[in-house]
Amino acid sequence: MRFQDAAKDARAVVYAGIQADPLVARVAAALAEASPDQRVMARAVMTGETVDPDGWRAMFPTLFAAAPEGPTGAADLALSETLLACALEVADRGDEIRNQLRGAIVEAVTERLLAARVGAPSVRRERRILFDGVRAEIHPYDVTVERDGAGEAYDCKWGARGINADVLNQLDDARTHAADEDERLVVALVVFDAQLSCAVRLARQTAPTAGIGLVSLESLSSLAEAPGRAT
Amino acid sequence: MTGPTIHDALTHAIDAYDRLALLAEDVEDEWTYVTDLSAAWRERLEAAGADGDRPAGAAGPAIDRAIDEIDRIVDPHRAIDWLSTFPQVVLVAIGERP
Repeated sequence: MRFQDAAKDARAVVYAGIQADPLVARVAAALAEASPDQRVMARAVMTGETVDPDGWRAMFPTLFAAAPEGPTGAADLALSETLLACALEVADRGDEIRNQLRGAIVEAVTERLLAARVGAPSVRRERRILFDGVRAEIHPYDVTVERDGAGEAYDCKWGARGINADVLNQLDDARTHAADEDERLVVALVVFDAQLSCAVRLARQTAPTAGIGLVSLESLSSLAEAPGRAT
Repeated sequence: MTGPTIHDALTHAIDAYDRLALLAEDVEDEWTYVTDLSAAWRERLEAAGADGDRPAGAAGPAIDRAIDEIDRIVDPHRAIDWLSTFPQVVLVAIGERP
């Protein structure tokens, strides 16, 4: 089993520009530190119809009420404000651009959380995984962890609706081929959506799901603690 | 005179959620997912309101604001996104785990 950079086709070049947008890094940095409630707020704003910050503050009184005394309460409020401001910047882009930004944000926060656990040099983006005698997949994995004897491959989705047979088959194939070579490869979906919604989506899939981890909006921080958990 | 309760607020939320689900059903190839998803979240919201006799407090206006947001949606694909997000927003507003 070995990892390889994906081909730099036209799609990859355009998408690299989206990934490099400083806004992506800012949102990802804030999301990496956020609580599940703050992540729900960020998802709502980035999917929203309106860009009035006071309206969003009113929708999340538990996040934007006067900060409890002490440094933790003040820090939480500051993070909520930071997340709201940058999520509104995403929402204020046109539909097509914000769709691309949102996908890139999920990848970037995944990369950041994984780097906290394994170190940045071991975390890579847009990589293919090659196995002896097996035709390479066309689509690269969004984020990989590349360490001897402890590889990980993640496919990142903004919403549960992005879970489909192609994604599941690709992850399952990689896991199976790795096992054939006596290599350990953790494979998982990172979905910036509710665990319940992912479970509903997965329940209707006929493609393999066993052995494929699921990291949802609620469990995102677990990426910094352990490899993606199996569904 | 008492104000609205959590149960009242969740009843309004579920009514709005049903309207959102109806819009999302326009995406024909996702009809099964939409119906399964909305049934699962509806059940979750109903469970959250089962012991909701306490005053809604700030959760009431928060949920009204969330309802206003989803009532603006005209794109059925956007509605599918919110079928998942809206219930979580409501749960956060009433202090439940999303």
